[in-house]
Amino acid sequence: MSSLMDMALIGAVMASTLRGTTPILLGALGETFVERSGLLNLGLEGMMVAGAFASFLVGFKLDSLMLGFVAAAAVGMILGLLFGFMTITLRVNQIVVGLGITIFAHASCSFLHRVIFGNQFPIMFTAGQTHEVPLLSKIPLIGQPLFNQHWLLYLTFLSVPVLYFIMYKTSLGLRIQAVGETPWAADSSGVNVLKTRYIAILFGGIMGGLAGAFMSLGDLAFFVPNMIMGRGYIAIVVVMLGKWDPLKVFLGALLFGFSMSLTSALQVAGVKVSPDFILMTPYLVVIATLLIFARSTNLPAALCVPYERGQK
Amino acid sequence: MKKIEFNDIAPAFYSVLSIVFALITGAVILIFIGKNPLLYFGQLFFQGMFSPLGLVESIIKMAPLLIISAGLLACFSAGLWNIGVEGQFLIGAVLAGWSAPTLASLLPYPIYLLSVAALGAMGGMFWILLPAVLKARYDMNEIITTMMMNWVAINLVTWLVKGPINDPTSVPAQTALIPMEHRLSMIPFTSIHIGLIVGIICLFIMHYVIRKTTLGYEFRVLLSNKRAAFHSGMNVARITIWGLLISGGFAGLAGVSDVLAIKGLFQGDWNPAYGMTAIPLVFLARFNGWAVVPLAFFFSFLSVGGEFVARDQGVPIFFVHILEGLTLLFFAASEYIEKRRAF
Amino acid sequence: MNVPPLIKTAGITKSFPGVLANDHIDFDLFPGEVHTLLGENGAGKTTLMNILYGLYQPDEGHIEVCGQKTRIRSPYDSLKLGIGMVHQHFALIPNLSVLENLVLGFEGGFILNMKDAEKKLKRISEEYGQAIDPHELIQNLSVGERQRTEIIKTLFRGSEALILDEPTSVLTPIEAEELFQTITTLKNAGKGVVLITHKLNEALAISDRISILSLGRKIAELNGDELRSMDEKDATEKILNIMFGGKPIPECSLVEKTISDQVVLKLEDVEVMNSRGVVGLNKVSFEIRGGEIFGIAGVDGNGQKSLCEAIGGQRELVSGRIRFRGEDISRKSVSKRHEMGISYITDDRMNEGCVLDLSLAENAILRGYCQPPYSRFNIIDNTVVDRFANKLIMDFDVKATGPYVRTGTLSGGNIQKFILARGLSTEPGLIICSKPTYGLDARTVNYIQELLLEESKQGTSVLLITSEMDELINCSDRIGVLFNGKIMAILDKCDATPEKIGKLMLGIEE
Repeated sequence: MSSLMDMALIGAVMASTLRGTTPILLGALGETFVERSGLLNLGLEGMMVAGAFASFLVGFKLDSLMLGFVAAAAVGMILGLLFGFMTITLRVNQIVVGLGITIFAHASCSFLHRVIFGNQFPIMFTAGQTHEVPLLSKIPLIGQPLFNQHWLLYLTFLSVPVLYFIMYKTSLGLRIQAVGETPWAADSSGVNVLKTRYIAILFGGIMGGLAGAFMSLGDLAFFVPNMIMGRGYIAIVVVMLGKWDPLKVFLGALLFGFSMSLTSALQVAGVKVSPDFILMTPYLVVIATLLIFARSTNLPAALCVPYERGQK
Repeated sequence: MKKIEFNDIAPAFYSVLSIVFALITGAVILIFIGKNPLLYFGQLFFQGMFSPLGLVESIIKMAPLLIISAGLLACFSAGLWNIGVEGQFLIGAVLAGWSAPTLASLLPYPIYLLSVAALGAMGGMFWILLPAVLKARYDMNEIITTMMMNWVAINLVTWLVKGPINDPTSVPAQTALIPMEHRLSMIPFTSIHIGLIVGIICLFIMHYVIRKTTLGYEFRVLLSNKRAAFHSGMNVARITIWGLLISGGFAGLAGVSDVLAIKGLFQGDWNPAYGMTAIPLVFLARFNGWAVVPLAFFFSFLSVGGEFVARDQGVPIFFVHILEGLTLLFFAASEYIEKRRAF
Repeated sequence: MNVPPLIKTAGITKSFPGVLANDHIDFDLFPGEVHTLLGENGAGKTTLMNILYGLYQPDEGHIEVCGQKTRIRSPYDSLKLGIGMVHQHFALIPNLSVLENLVLGFEGGFILNMKDAEKKLKRISEEYGQAIDPHELIQNLSVGERQRTEIIKTLFRGSEALILDEPTSVLTPIEAEELFQTITTLKNAGKGVVLITHKLNEALAISDRISILSLGRKIAELNGDELRSMDEKDATEKILNIMFGGKPIPECSLVEKTISDQVVLKLEDVEVMNSRGVVGLNKVSFEIRGGEIFGIAGVDGNGQKSLCEAIGGQRELVSGRIRFRGEDISRKSVSKRHEMGISYITDDRMNEGCVLDLSLAENAILRGYCQPPYSRFNIIDNTVVDRFANKLIMDFDVKATGPYVRTGTLSGGNIQKFILARGLSTEPGLIICSKPTYGLDARTVNYIQELLLEESKQGTSVLLITSEMDELINCSDRIGVLFNGKIMAILDKCDATPEKIGKLMLGIEE
């Protein structure tokens, strides 16, 4: 193989790593705040599916990418509100609600897709466009893969330090950490526990919706019901790996993005492995990394515990 | 005679109520997409429940749900969340598809059946072994690990039937066909295979295991208070592993039953996704084996009827999954009403 | 008086299912005074304060703050009105720093301004003489330091009225002394302090006024100076008279008993790690003979839990040996030790001792479920279990309607009685009893202490871990003092004085 081919391959791996990382990172960053506030959102998978579908539907029908992304955020937020209402206000089992939302969202999207598009999977040709960053994209080797990408990808990566700052340097972050650890103590310090949790889950929902939208309108340009393929759950794993710290969560997401892009790169490079076998690897990587890194997880103490005043 | 009070029937009441609410919401969705809900539900009920063909289909479909639910009873009542029954089901099924043609020619029928069943169940148990050990040893969240093993299983079985255990005589990726005489036998005078009976037996055994045995007692203590379990000298790791292995084993067995009775072979892209039905089912039944039976019938009738109606009225089959998801959400909400009533 | 009271409640009534926790309570607090609320557990003290703090809403009655009638809907409202509360369980977030805890809830802007907060803390520290490292995480602080953080937190928010809920229950005698000085400083600075306690001597020492609550009603208000001018014994007598309607609390009976020569439990250089992976017990050795009550004193968190669990079997030994009736049990499982006759009655009755969601019958067999007669061939015999649970309920006078009642519906005292009943039902040779009377009312405390003494008279050995000095000295035959996982000294009953024990608890050797 010539070195030119090698270079091209490395560039392709870099670019697809970033693209594979983005939806997981979006979902995981949202989930970081959600879990820090004491909620475990198993509905994230469903929120991503709903985001992917809503953005494609709105984007395709109205022929507006921007409205598509707005729709995804809105749908994610609505599902987040539903999750929040059931778990924060009604205080019912978070696992049941999370699964219920995932089943409901997944089925609804498959259903509506069939109703609206029949057996067709149309492609939206304007979607998936990339934007070159002036100057930086001219850097040899890394310029094109790193700096010729979709705008949401840039935004996602830039949001990492911003969210880190919010988590550790602002009152909102402080409150979110407090309500997930010792909610009654936060309450008696004058923090509105329920409001803080609502803020977290609404944010998580928006991020989940955008993650789906990136899949259908940013990375690809179509929607198929099974396209999320467990990325929502992987995002939850990444949050655990990253120990609820936005920077470490970023590294975890990058690891998955890389292992996903490697699978396709191996095929391109002509390594003789069955594609089904390669498709398993990201999930195996999840289990392996959990084994290696996450043996001692300091879960937020109040994770999955509803808060009710007067019950310690 | 004992007077029946509301509290005795409350669990059943709330489960039925959530189903009713889900159906009502479903009706609204139908109106929204321009279908007549009366027509839809009319045909759904008529075809799924009252036509002989639909009724038999619905009953046949109950078998895997009952067997999977029996296992889920065990792990859920111990507070262990095996979300990956789909994967364990597929592993059981692929093992059955692979071994049945060979074993059938070597062994007498009953022994052949038992060994295929044992192999499938062991396959299912093997598939949950890693999550179980991780949970027991490192307290690693089993929701995540079983879910990941699910995706691994889906890809693994596809790879297996394409390559190592492919039947070279057929074009599609599948295992060799099991001859009719080596399939599961029927319940006399019906066209319903004995998987149904197996399912009901499994379910009632697990129902009593949880209520009457020391293992079931350990499960219940573990569910409500893990620290008390440890404090009083229970081997929490052992209980955790048993709870998960039992659920994996039954899921594997369900795979065997479906392959031996209905499919007759294992196909690469075949995934009936029973997990997504069985998990809500067991919640709705509140871990009560008796309640699983009517609910399993309801859900299998939904999917059978849903398929009929999908063909006739153009309402996609996914609609019944929406009803399932809604039922689960309404059920979760009913937990709140019940808690309020407790005071 | 011309100054309006900081806080005034009028006719506050609050009921919980089955209990009237507060029944038309009138209470007030003026600047520069210490007003003590005295009463048994369940008298309604904490409920009243939680209403003032906005955690509960009263069913009837109203609250005035500085002469203004107000409604307090949440702790936030209460803090805004200048009421600060120091809870019995500290309302601090363990994985945040002192400074972060101080600003939490009142950050004053979206972006945290830690520099200003630190300056403010420094000012408060100087004014009230309360030093604390602002950057240390709460989880690394001692109990006394955490309490100080709590008090600073209320000052940091400019509270004029401070509510201290049983502040000394977690402190050593010396720390408690310091706390009283702090309270005096606050009082002199014009703050109003509400002190909630059930310890008479504390109330007598520091209060300007004492209100006595009983069964949700305020039954008396006494003047502190007046009481202090009386003879101490008379003052105590007077209060007890009011609280118990003339029925004196019986003293722990001191009956002659014989301690056998047989060594029942022997620890040889036992070392274990605690749950945080730090040395929990450091070469602990002692022995307990038949019929002896061996008391363990120590500030919470100095290895008590590790000691109990090392003997009970929940915690693995790093080195050393434990013998029970001469047999080495260091490697035996919890259930094996239980079978041999070691009964461990935990201090964490809600989380370890029982399963609140299960019935009393199911809880009755938490230890013995895999042995006959409760189960045979792994099948549980429900009739036997029900009969057994019923017997426990009857014999120990547990207030419950039957064996099928959900355990969580019982009161703390009744749960403790039930756990004790279960622990004693096997006729153990050794009872490990950790804080058996913590948080219980005087009558139950007395009942439980009598029970332990009775057991020891019949030859059972008892390891009694307690933070109540009176209980320790009254009940124990010998006392070991734990500090930092080490036994500082073992005292005989006759040389044990609270002062001596108190010093040893802080690691000060003679």
